[in-house]
Amino acid sequence: MTLFAALFSHYRRHPLQLVALALMILVATTLWSGVRQLTEQARTSLTQSEQVIAGRQQVVREDGVAVTVGDFATLRRAGLCVMPWLEVPRDGDVGLVIGVDPLSAACFGDEGNVFGDAGYRIEGEPFVDISEAARLAREFPGTERAPTLVLIAAGAVKAETLPAGYRLSAFSKGPDTGELGESFLLNLDALGVLVLLITALLLRSVYRLGIVQRRDSFALLHRFGVPPAQIDRWLVLELLVLAVLCVVPGLWLGSWLAGLLGQGFGRSLQGLFDAPLYATSGQWLAPALTMMAVVLAACLADFLVPRTRLVVARRGQGKLAGGLLLAGLALALLGPSLIWVFAAVAIVFAGAGLLTPALISRVADRAGVASPDPLRRWRYRELAVMARQLALPVVALQFTLAMVLAIQALVTTFEDTFDRWLGQRLEAELYVPVPEGRSADAAARWLTSQPELQTGGAWHRVVRGRGSVSMSGTAPAPVDLFALSPVSSLVDGWDLLASADDPWGILAREEGVLVNEQLARRLGVGVGDRLELDVAGAWLDLPIAGVYADYGRPAGEVLISAGLLPAHFQAAFESFSITPGALSRAELISGLEAVWQVSELAVRDNEEIRSLATGVFDQTFLLTRAITVLTLALAALALLIMGWVFFTGRAWYFRLLAAWGLSRREVAAQLTRLSVGLTASVALLALPLGIWLTWVLVHRINPLAFGWSLPMAVYPGFWVELIGLSLLIGLGIALLMGRQLRAATVLPVSANSLAGGER
Amino acid sequence: MSQVVLEARELSKTFASGAERIAVFSGLSVELAEGQSLALVGRSGSGKSTLLNVFCGLERPDTGVLALLGERFDYREPETAGQAEKRWARLRRRRIGVVFQEANLMPALSLLDNVRLRARLAQQPLDQCQAWLERLGIGELAERYPDQVSGGQRQRAALAMVFAMNPDLILADEPTGSLDRRTAEEVTAELFRLQAQTGVALILATHDPELAEQCGMTLDLAHGAPAGQAR
Repeated sequence: MTLFAALFSHYRRHPLQLVALALMILVATTLWSGVRQLTEQARTSLTQSEQVIAGRQQVVREDGVAVTVGDFATLRRAGLCVMPWLEVPRDGDVGLVIGVDPLSAACFGDEGNVFGDAGYRIEGEPFVDISEAARLAREFPGTERAPTLVLIAAGAVKAETLPAGYRLSAFSKGPDTGELGESFLLNLDALGVLVLLITALLLRSVYRLGIVQRRDSFALLHRFGVPPAQIDRWLVLELLVLAVLCVVPGLWLGSWLAGLLGQGFGRSLQGLFDAPLYATSGQWLAPALTMMAVVLAACLADFLVPRTRLVVARRGQGKLAGGLLLAGLALALLGPSLIWVFAAVAIVFAGAGLLTPALISRVADRAGVASPDPLRRWRYRELAVMARQLALPVVALQFTLAMVLAIQALVTTFEDTFDRWLGQRLEAELYVPVPEGRSADAAARWLTSQPELQTGGAWHRVVRGRGSVSMSGTAPAPVDLFALSPVSSLVDGWDLLASADDPWGILAREEGVLVNEQLARRLGVGVGDRLELDVAGAWLDLPIAGVYADYGRPAGEVLISAGLLPAHFQAAFESFSITPGALSRAELISGLEAVWQVSELAVRDNEEIRSLATGVFDQTFLLTRAITVLTLALAALALLIMGWVFFTGRAWYFRLLAAWGLSRREVAAQLTRLSVGLTASVALLALPLGIWLTWVLVHRINPLAFGWSLPMAVYPGFWVELIGLSLLIGLGIALLMGRQLRAATVLPVSANSLAGGER
Repeated sequence: MSQVVLEARELSKTFASGAERIAVFSGLSVELAEGQSLALVGRSGSGKSTLLNVFCGLERPDTGVLALLGERFDYREPETAGQAEKRWARLRRRRIGVVFQEANLMPALSLLDNVRLRARLAQQPLDQCQAWLERLGIGELAERYPDQVSGGQRQRAALAMVFAMNPDLILADEPTGSLDRRTAEEVTAELFRLQAQTGVALILATHDPELAEQCGMTLDLAHGAPAGQAR
């Protein structure tokens, strides 16, 4: 018999353990690579859709520094078709002057036509030669805003052809439509990391259990003269082969899973961008290598860390866990940026992971000592042993439960808040966009002249566009403008996060503005602070009368009275929100059609918009929920497998109870109490972790990442569901073990010293 | 006349080995009264442990009749497994003490708590448990855990557990099989001394002829079947 055959004989005797390990690697790879592939596909799709909407792409520096003429020269020398585009902000009617280089545009072929449309205007802005634009910038500084150089890339320029230090980005003068998608991608990325962490823990637990059981064989082989290093090498090889055999089909399954779940996300994207886009990603090598590295690191960590250090670590475990928890909690509270908060989450999870098995074990031991009933004392002591022996899968289950709880709370809170917010925003019954080239003023006059609209009806005109905002002494920053006129009763229902007295009156009298939460947070301003606003060259200096919630995107927005907009303001979009009141819907539509002289108006009603918006969010969150549920299933499976292996070693002692006169039913009941006791304890300890994680997501990560926060809500009904689920997992373990007790039980190899006899 | 504790008639047991059935014992009859001791002898695999398991209801014979402590189990007649299980559980809980070769103690409990657990299941007073440990010479080890004492001390604790339940029958399966000779002799001496004091019936499976000699009767299963006769 070869050394490898001798080592592998353990799995011949315990094929289930090998199957369990292989299954864990397979499922972990499937889950993680599925999430990863979804994120990659979504990212590619978002980039594509942004490019489709923007119509063109630009080259930017990876270090975030603005591009210069030097960058242009570097890219052209690299043979890439790029064109400089200089935006020079101007005062007055001109607004913005765009300079392009016609010589550089030659390599764009037909694409170049978009830069030189009739009337020397691009997207409504004047278009000149780049040298002329540069001269204007030098000689007439005009506004405080600096000229911006952009390097437009031809469609033929691909990301892989760019020199190091550059990347492609969508180029658009409009608002960034991909913000919501980006925020969703960030969530997916974080979820992927968490899934990887949990699966690594589970893998480690299953593998370590096998190693503990094989320790005798290793000792025997060592006594036969085999050097320990050689045994270690064979173990690494064994794991490597197993990892290769399981990671490859796992990646394939992950791809299948991503395809399955991705259809939902594809629909979400379609809803967001009105473009049926969904990219596929064919990367295999990087995820395969990552997963192999995770498998090897998770399983072989003990080989990498000197054993003495592990012993020391175990001794100071309680203090270490307490220190980590305190440090993590403090960091989560005070962390100045997203990366610090993510680090805080990792530290708190590490602390909780160290503390949980020790805490369950300690409490059970204490309860055992306090119990006068010997049978109950035995049960508590067994629970303590279980918590220690199954520490890793217990912690993995706790993390998963906490993650599920937090994501459910976040998603449900978001859905509720979004629904309420949408209800306030969609106060009007009808939404009518102003047709291309038609006058919104004429329609406003017609609406004002309709007496029936005054009876139970209301309307306002909405103008959307861009401006820039600054506090005293700060550089101007671009901002979305949301202008209303008149300020009607349709806005009365808006929940304001903070406001002065009569904020809508102030807005209507043009004595102040309202800002969205994102902008208020970003600028660190509140009610009463003054804001300097540049609206197409006209400077406004007004106090903030209120802060309103604006979910789903990070962009800052200022709400002003449309009366403050200068006549030359270029609106990106204009519409009317109308509740017809006594005026019939048909009369309203025909009246507006007559004013605008169009045969058909694109009128959307409240319900249509609401169902469209909620549909997009439902699809988006369906994916998040599906991934968390799958992770929970994996954690449950791992605990089930570990519970099985643990009880197999422990079965003799349950058999002993039967020999002492407990009926099989009574033994099964003891088993059930134990396994359910363990999973219930895990669920109870997952609750505070999950609630804390919810708080971090709502109050720290969301504001830092997207600029807005949600009201913190908890859902005790869902806690009960989760605890119920944990009890079911416990019952599953007991049921499985109950079957095992019916079979003949093998005496532990060496009583009270090896596997099965731990205390 | 001492009361009969166990009476077995024509017990047979086979195991399946592929398509074949192998007889462990067949037509085995034996009788044991209170205060008596019986040694089951025979080489490894001859069925000693199986027979002990049959005597305490942990395994079921194929056929035969077994009368034990007032309960009668007729394996020729059908009886629902649940009913038999209940009657056997009751016997094991209060009247039959079982000692295995090793691993008789719950590893997570101290020696004293093990004895208390066994006494509690047999509904015997818990205040005698420490005394039983002392009678077996390990009173000072009461708070130690099984992995903190020697093999011989663990077997003494196992005997303390059995006697603390005040049984009518003790079934001991190679109780000294894992001990060195001297310790084995000490543990055996304690077992027989207490058996004599309490008058409990004892069936002991062993491959040690000297140990078997100390029992009043011997049933030789060395050649598998048919059974030898108790002497």
